[in-house]
Amino acid sequence: MTTLETKTSRMPKSKRDYSPAARIFLLLFFTALAILVMIPLIAMVLGTFKGGAEMWRSGLNLKPEFQMWSLDYWRYLFTGITVDGELLPHKYFTWFGNSLMITVIQTVLSLFISAFVAYGFEMYHFKGKNAIFLCVLMEMMIPFEILMLPMYVQANAMGLLDNMWGIMLPFLASVSAIFFFKQYLSGLPKDLLDAGRVDGCNEYSIFFRIILPIMGPAMSSMAVLVGMGAWNSLLWPMLVLTSMDKYTLPIGLNTLFTPYGNNYDLLICGSCFAILPILLIYIFAQKFIVEGMTAGAVKG
Amino acid sequence: MKRTLSLLIALVMVLGMCSFASAEGATKLTLWTFIDQHATFYNTMAEEWNKANPDRQVELEATVLGYDDMHNKFKIALQSGVGAPDMCDVELGQFPNVLLGEPQLVVLNDYMAPYIDTIVPSRLSIYSKGDNHYGVPTHVGATVAFYNVELLEAAGVDYKTIVTWDDWAEAGRKLKAANPEAYMGNAETTTSWQTNLMLTQQGADVQDNSNPDDPKPTVNTPELLKAVTMQQEWVKEGLSMVCPGGQVDTEQGKAWVNTGVCATVIMPEWYMSRFVDEIPDMAGKYAIAPAPVFEAGQPRSIGGGGTGTVVSLTCPDKDLAADFIVYAKLSEFGEQMIWNVMGFDPVNTAVWDDQELTHNPENKFNKYFLTNVFDTLNEVKDEIMYIPSTSISPTMNTYFNTTLWNNLYIDLLDPAEELQLAQDAIEADIF
Amino acid sequence: MQKVKRILYSQKIAPYVFVLPFVLTFLVFFLYPLTTTIKMSFQDILPGQEQWVGLKNYQRLLTDKVFGQAVFNSLRYMVITCALLIPFPMLFAYMISSRSMKFAGAFKSIYFVPVLSSVVVAGLIFRMMFAEQPDAMMNSLLALFGQPAIWWLKLEYPSLLALVLLCCWRWTGMNMLYYLAGIKSIPTELYEAADIDGASAVQKFTKIGWPLLKPTTIYVLTISIYAGLAMFTESYMVFGNNASPHNYGLTIVGYLYRYGFEKLRMGYASAVGLALLVGALALNLVQLRLTGTIGKRGDK
Repeated sequence: MTTLETKTSRMPKSKRDYSPAARIFLLLFFTALAILVMIPLIAMVLGTFKGGAEMWRSGLNLKPEFQMWSLDYWRYLFTGITVDGELLPHKYFTWFGNSLMITVIQTVLSLFISAFVAYGFEMYHFKGKNAIFLCVLMEMMIPFEILMLPMYVQANAMGLLDNMWGIMLPFLASVSAIFFFKQYLSGLPKDLLDAGRVDGCNEYSIFFRIILPIMGPAMSSMAVLVGMGAWNSLLWPMLVLTSMDKYTLPIGLNTLFTPYGNNYDLLICGSCFAILPILLIYIFAQKFIVEGMTAGAVKG
Repeated sequence: MKRTLSLLIALVMVLGMCSFASAEGATKLTLWTFIDQHATFYNTMAEEWNKANPDRQVELEATVLGYDDMHNKFKIALQSGVGAPDMCDVELGQFPNVLLGEPQLVVLNDYMAPYIDTIVPSRLSIYSKGDNHYGVPTHVGATVAFYNVELLEAAGVDYKTIVTWDDWAEAGRKLKAANPEAYMGNAETTTSWQTNLMLTQQGADVQDNSNPDDPKPTVNTPELLKAVTMQQEWVKEGLSMVCPGGQVDTEQGKAWVNTGVCATVIMPEWYMSRFVDEIPDMAGKYAIAPAPVFEAGQPRSIGGGGTGTVVSLTCPDKDLAADFIVYAKLSEFGEQMIWNVMGFDPVNTAVWDDQELTHNPENKFNKYFLTNVFDTLNEVKDEIMYIPSTSISPTMNTYFNTTLWNNLYIDLLDPAEELQLAQDAIEADIF
Repeated sequence: MQKVKRILYSQKIAPYVFVLPFVLTFLVFFLYPLTTTIKMSFQDILPGQEQWVGLKNYQRLLTDKVFGQAVFNSLRYMVITCALLIPFPMLFAYMISSRSMKFAGAFKSIYFVPVLSSVVVAGLIFRMMFAEQPDAMMNSLLALFGQPAIWWLKLEYPSLLALVLLCCWRWTGMNMLYYLAGIKSIPTELYEAADIDGASAVQKFTKIGWPLLKPTTIYVLTISIYAGLAMFTESYMVFGNNASPHNYGLTIVGYLYRYGFEKLRMGYASAVGLALLVGALALNLVQLRLTGTIGKRGDK
C-alpha cells in the first residue's frame, strides 16, 4: 500500500459498530472527557472576568462568582484603559503582531525549505547521502536545550541577537519536517521525475512545478505543527530577544509574571486571547490535518 | 494612586522624549531593569539630567524585563562579552553572579566619590569586590517591624512594649487567645529576611568571610540553630503561619496581609511601598517600630534586599553612563525622588534628617501608616547590620529557599539535623 | 555564467543543492555549537577567564546529588507520561473513530484545544489551579470530599501530579490525532472479516487495532521519551521559577539551565548537556535497534 493511495482514496470509516448501550456509554464517556479537558480553559475564561488581583488572591477555580464580574480587564487588553479608568499603554498587540509575523514567515519558509531538502533526500541517490541523513536523525534525537549556550554565542557572533531572524534561522531547515516530508515523498512514484524531464523540466522545476503542488496534505498537517511550534516557542526567543518591542507573545506574557508592576489583568486576558488565532486556524484546517498525517507520518 | 502616578510620569516621559528629539547629539544609553517603577524613575531622572547638563545630553532607553529573564540575559551577555546594555539594575542576591571571574563592569569609586561619606557603608560593600565598588545602591532597606495596631489592641497588646522576641511571642499568645484566626507573624520559606535579622542580632552570619577570597559556609552554628528553632516553635504553636507564596513580598503574601489577620510583618523598609500600592485595605492600621531582639541592646535592624545599578565595560560612553546613574540615584534630587516616588529609605542618610521631606503630611507613604518611618529609621540608624553577599551566597540561598526552610517550617523536621544536612549539601555544591 | 548554470542544473550536482540548506544549518547551528560544548565541558569558564580543567566537570557531575535528583525526576516524569499518554490516547482514538460514534468531530476539536495553548498559558492556568489558597480549584475539589486544603506545589507527589496532569492535558489531543491517522490507514476489510468471524469489540481491538497500530505506538513513544527527557519549561512555568521546593520540579534541562544561565558555570553546564546528549542518544539508539523505527524532533 503506498501512501499516495491512502491520501487520494478516501477510506470509509472503520466498520466497527457498537450496541446502543455501548453507544450511549461512549457518548457519555467522551462528553465527560470533553468536560475534563475544558475545565482548565473554563477556569481561565472565568478568571478573565474576575481579574488578575483575584487570580492571585484565590487562584483559578470554577466558581462563577458573578458579583465580581467585570469587563474592565478585557477593556484594558483592547484599549489600554485600566480598571481605574486611566490610560496605561501596553505592548500586548505589538507582541501579538510580532508572533503572528514570525509564525507566518517561519511556517512558510520552514515548510518550503524542508520540503526542498526532503525532496533531495528522497528522489536522488548521491554520494554521502546516508551520512548526511544520519545527521538529520542525530539532530532529531538531541534536545536543542543542550546546545542553547553555544548557539547563543553563535547567534551573537552572526549578529542575530535581538533580531527576528535570529529566532527563526536555526530552525528553518526543520529536521522533523524534513523527516516527515521524506516519508511522504517516498510514497510517490519515481516515474514522475522522468516524466517531468521528458516534458523539459530541469531538476528544480520538477520540484516546483510537479512535486510541490501535490504535497498539499502533508504541508497542511506540518503547517499546523510547525506553526504551533513557532507561535508557542519560549526558550530560544527568550534568549535571543532583548527589546520589548520585538518580543513575541509568550515572552511578553512571561514578563508580565513579574511581581514588580501591575500586569496581572493583562496576563490573564492576554493568555486567554493568545489561544484564539491558532484555534481558528486549526478549526479551518482540521480536515486536512488528519489526512495529511495519515499520508505521511507513520508507516509500518 | 500608583496608576495616577505612572500616568503622570508617562506624561513626563512623553514630554521628555520630545525634548530628546530636539536635543542635538544626545547620547543614547540603554538600561535594563526588572521593576516598572524603576524604569519610570530613571526616565524622570534623565529628564532632570538633561536640564542640568545641556552639553551632555542623554537619550535613555529603559527596558523592563522579567526578573529571571533579565538577570540570566545580563549574565550571559557579560560572559560572552556582547549584548549587554549600558546599564543594568542587578538585584542583591544576583550580584555575586555578575562579579564572577573578572567583573566586566565599570569600577564606580571615582564617580561616587562626592557622596561616599554620607552613604551607609554596608550598602556599598554589598556591591563590591575587594575595594572596587561596582553597583550604585538604591536604598538602605533597613528592616523594621510593621505592627497591625487594630488587631493587637483588640487583643489588649500594646506594640510599643515589645522589646524582645520573648515579649513578641507572649504578645502572640495573647493575640491567639483573643482571636484564633489571627497570626502574630509568618515563617518565610523562599527568603531569609527574618532569619538574617535574627542572625546578625547575635553577631553571626551564615558564612565565614575571614578570608574574603575563600568564603566558607557556616550553617550548623548555635546562632542559626537558635534562630530557626525559635521560628519553628512559633509555627508549631500557631503564632506564626508559613507565609503564603513563601514570603510576604509575593502576590499571595500581599493578598494574605491584606486580609488583616497578620499582626506583624518584619520586613525591610521598602515593604511599605508594597503596603501602599498593593495592600489597600490595611491603610491606617499599621504602625512602624524597631524589630524585636533577643536581648535589649542588640542591633535591631539589618539592610535587606536592594538593587545595585552597574555600568557595563562594553558601554561606549562609560563616563556619561556612570555620571548619569550616580546622579540619578545619589544626588539630592534623586534621593528625594527615591523617597517621594518609590517610598524607599535613601542610602544618603543625610536626607533622613530633612524634616520637610521626611515628615511631609501629604506624602502617600506617611499617610498610610500610623507612625512616621523615619522616626524608627533614625532610632535604629546606627544599628543597621548587613549580611555580605559573596560568591557562595547564590548557592547557599538556592539550598535555603528550595530545601532548608521548607524542611524546617512546613515539614517541621529537626532543626539540628537539618542544619547539618544543609552544611554538607552546600559544601558539596560549592565550586 | 552558462557553465555555472549548467553545473548547478546537472543531475549530479542538483541533489547537493537540495540538501544544502540542511547541511548549512547543521554545520552552523548544530555541529559547531556541539564541538564548542564538548570543548567547554573540559574547561572552567568565568567572564574574562578560561582554564582547562580536564575531567573535573565530569567528576563533579558523577558525585552531585542534586544532579542525580534531576535525572531521577526527568526519568520518572518521562516514564509516567509515556505510561499515560500512549494507551489512553490510543484507546480514545480507537473508540472515537468507530462508525457509531456521534459528534466525533466536535469531540476531537475540543480535545485538541489544549494542544494549541502555549506552555506559558498552560503553566499559568495549572499554577493557579494548583495554588495553595483554599479557594483554588484543586483545594476546592479536596473540600468537596471534606479534606483540608494542601499546598500542592510545595509537596512532592501533588506537584508531580500537577506536572503530569499538565502534560496529559496538553498532549492527549495530539497523540489521539497521531492514532487517528494510524487507525485511518487500517484496511476496513480486516474488520469486515472479523465481523464475519463474529469477533467482539474487544477482540477486534486486541487482534487488529493494537498490532496494526504498532508503528504509530513506536513513533508516539519516541517523541514522548524525547519530550519527557527534555522537559523544562513546563516545570519553570508551574513553579514560577527554576527553584522548586526541594527541587521537586528540577529536571536535567533545568539543572543545565541553573548552572549555565543562572550560576554562569558554562563549563559544568556543558558537561551536563553532553551527559543528557549521550543519554538521549543511547535511549534512542536502543529503540532504533529494537524497533527499526525512528522518532521526530519537536521544533523549538
